[in-house]
Amino acid sequence: MRKYLARRAVYAAVTLLGVSLSIFIVLRVLPGDPLVAILGVEGHARMTPADRVRIMADLGLSDPLPVQYVRWLGDIGAGRLGKSFFRGDTVAELILHRGPISAEIGVLALFISWLVGMPVGILSAFKPNGVPDAVARAVSVLFIAIPGFWLGMLIVLALLFWFGYKGPITIVHFWNDPWQNAQLVLGPGIVLGLAQGAYIARMSRSCLLEVIGEDFVRTARAKGLREGLIVMRHALPNALLPVITISGVLLGFVLGGSVAVEQAFGVPGLGRALVTAVIERDIIVVQNLVLLYALIFVVVNVLVDLSYAWLDPRIRYG
Amino acid sequence: MSDPYSEIRSARLDRRSFLKRTGVAGAAAIVASRLPVPGAAVAQDATLRADAAAKRGGTLRYGILSAAAHFDVHQSGTVANIGPQSPMYDTLLRRSPRDGQTIIPDLAQRWEIAPDGKKYTFHLRRGVKFHDGAELTAEDVKATYERIARPPKGVVIPRTPLFATVGDIVAVDPYRVEFRLTEPRPKPFMLGAFASGWNIIVRKKTLEEHQGNLRQVMNYPGTGPFKHVSRQDKEVWIMERNPNYWNKGLPYVDRLEIYNLPPFSPELGSSFLSGKVDYARLLDPVSWRKAKEMPGVTAAAFNQSVIQAFWTNMQKNKALADPRVRRAIHLAMDRHTLVEVVKDTAPMQVGGFVYPFHEMSTPRPELEKRLGYQKDVTPAVQEARRLMKEAGYANGLRNLDFVVRDIASFKLWAVAIQAMLKEHLNIEANLRVVQTSVWFEEAAAGNFDLAISAIVSTLMDPSDYFTAWYGKDGPQNYSRWTNPAFHDVASQIERELDDSKRKTLVRKAEDLLEQDPPLIPVAYEQIYDAWSNKVKGQNPSTYFGIYDVVRWDQVWLG
Repeated sequence: MRKYLARRAVYAAVTLLGVSLSIFIVLRVLPGDPLVAILGVEGHARMTPADRVRIMADLGLSDPLPVQYVRWLGDIGAGRLGKSFFRGDTVAELILHRGPISAEIGVLALFISWLVGMPVGILSAFKPNGVPDAVARAVSVLFIAIPGFWLGMLIVLALLFWFGYKGPITIVHFWNDPWQNAQLVLGPGIVLGLAQGAYIARMSRSCLLEVIGEDFVRTARAKGLREGLIVMRHALPNALLPVITISGVLLGFVLGGSVAVEQAFGVPGLGRALVTAVIERDIIVVQNLVLLYALIFVVVNVLVDLSYAWLDPRIRYG
Repeated sequence: MSDPYSEIRSARLDRRSFLKRTGVAGAAAIVASRLPVPGAAVAQDATLRADAAAKRGGTLRYGILSAAAHFDVHQSGTVANIGPQSPMYDTLLRRSPRDGQTIIPDLAQRWEIAPDGKKYTFHLRRGVKFHDGAELTAEDVKATYERIARPPKGVVIPRTPLFATVGDIVAVDPYRVEFRLTEPRPKPFMLGAFASGWNIIVRKKTLEEHQGNLRQVMNYPGTGPFKHVSRQDKEVWIMERNPNYWNKGLPYVDRLEIYNLPPFSPELGSSFLSGKVDYARLLDPVSWRKAKEMPGVTAAAFNQSVIQAFWTNMQKNKALADPRVRRAIHLAMDRHTLVEVVKDTAPMQVGGFVYPFHEMSTPRPELEKRLGYQKDVTPAVQEARRLMKEAGYANGLRNLDFVVRDIASFKLWAVAIQAMLKEHLNIEANLRVVQTSVWFEEAAAGNFDLAISAIVSTLMDPSDYFTAWYGKDGPQNYSRWTNPAFHDVASQIERELDDSKRKTLVRKAEDLLEQDPPLIPVAYEQIYDAWSNKVKGQNPSTYFGIYDVVRWDQVWLG
């Protein structure tokens, strides 16, 4: 097990190094002058070449690229993650302030996806091709098809025009005011969760249908067990592995989707910070947030792999 | 009707009365000769004073873009700085919040202008304290303006050209500062420059401590009506009443909460409509119209200091270097339709090369009779086609690279302009939508045929923007346009001190620009504000732009 963990850790480190290098290069190759955002349109237009040289040096952008990259890795190692080009805030501060909101949204979305997806999948598999199955399949396809940001905007508009309601406009952490915090995270969490729930429902249905056809399920039926017990006790645990696997992948969708959904709901989370940083060409913030998202994705998928051994005693990591 | 002169005519004038009257008249003449020349001291006793009827206390929640890229107000050109930071600072002079136009005293209690217009002397208030407790002196004003007029390396200040003729800045004594000009400029121009909301007075010591660069200094001391309390990046900036403010009785509100809500965004609209903020600036038209219908809400529209336009690259494209082709493109624009196209995205109005609401520009009714501004575009399009034919491009142009900033209104306009060019002149343009940072890179490098964006000025006075927008090598002259006749007239406008003569020159400049367009005007922006009726003391309907009256010291909550 230790050997397996060490191997996965090395793979994860190489993956993250690759991501860091890719994002570092891409952000420097892409066109767009960060000084436009820093100096504004008028200031940028009036900037002299000497001003440019001075400002680029102040921002650390005039050093050779390898030097800039190594300095960034050093900042990561020191836990500072570098400073935003603009107001001089560190990226670590940004993540500490906004990260909990985005994490809550992500966890809530995963929880809702299971809470909704699993019962729907079981219901569909329990009576395949019946009316409940048809309805469940139609609804799940609908939620897969609807873009999260669009649904989010509709919800925001409906709440505003029908009830004159809008959620908090600044970050409220759970430990400061749980009710205000819930008003911030519930909307994006539900929208993202329903979309992922649709995937979970479809995956759990197909896995359950496959398992239900196995010999051990036929044996259970022959022994006269109730259908519910057969599904819950015998079929479901055996159908869970692919569902857990896809949950790890879905986390990537949640992380990606949160960027647009946070924007639609006006929630000042990390996703929204990423959008702003891209527009502002604040490359230090962008590269750190992308790396953070990659880190979360890698870690969750390692955990998913490790959970196989716990769920299925036949699996051993040597 | 009584004759006002009859009493004088009927009066009997004896020797004693004559001597008495002569003596009084002589004394009056001596006193009058000691007073400043008329016009030298404009509105000198018009300092904004506390209104006895206004109520004290409460928290004003204000929604505006406040995610600034840095904290240096002088170096900024965006409302993201001046919106949240201006309540903490004062300026030498200011625009009256009552009308947004009249220039009134601020930190300078009074001022004098030398008869030759080459010296401006400001007398500072005594006992004004910065938020760190230090007293304001002429040295602070000198250091502030030295920096604005002659910024150090790596510091870029868009208002520097306003003070191009400022030579020496002399702190005569702790409360008197003189600006000595190398040559005179029109008084409204100079006073407008001193009253600009951008030119906040900061401490000399602050500038020295940070080597003249305040981009990353969040809370540097000002003398303003509000003091910094806390700030959460891209969320909220909280300030409290400055108890030691020099203007006794002001400000009225105890606390100011400035929420970062981007212009024209659904967030700003929904925050105002749901009552999360009391005052919203730069509302989108849909939310503004909704707000107007709401009980207990007032909504106002006012002029913004921005022209929306597209540029024609004269260096890259030979056809576009021909004034006839550019005039043809100018005439082919159906401006009333262009305003209509974006009516749900951003509020706009039709205009030409000079702010259409400025006293020196062609009045709107007259402008709308001109080709290019009429509602019926048929005569303008006929003339445009004639010009294209005369220039040798009767069959139009192909494959123009049209660079479009990735902003909703520009994208909508680009499609409409593309269609107008094709339909009216058979000009085919390919749209290339890019991020703002890329747009300016491409514009500066000349990598475009047509490019649409917006540019801003500090003052409504043409001398401010004629140089920047249309001047030879002007920083926003993206077309690389030159016209010696125009540059000559613009130079005269800068130097002409007589208002009526300036007006004639501005009209002449307009005519030159109409015939040889340096850019193609699309529209002039407007601002939509809305506020709860409990917010008293401000109505921006007559304001120009969002950069001068931004301090909230006169606002109270009913």
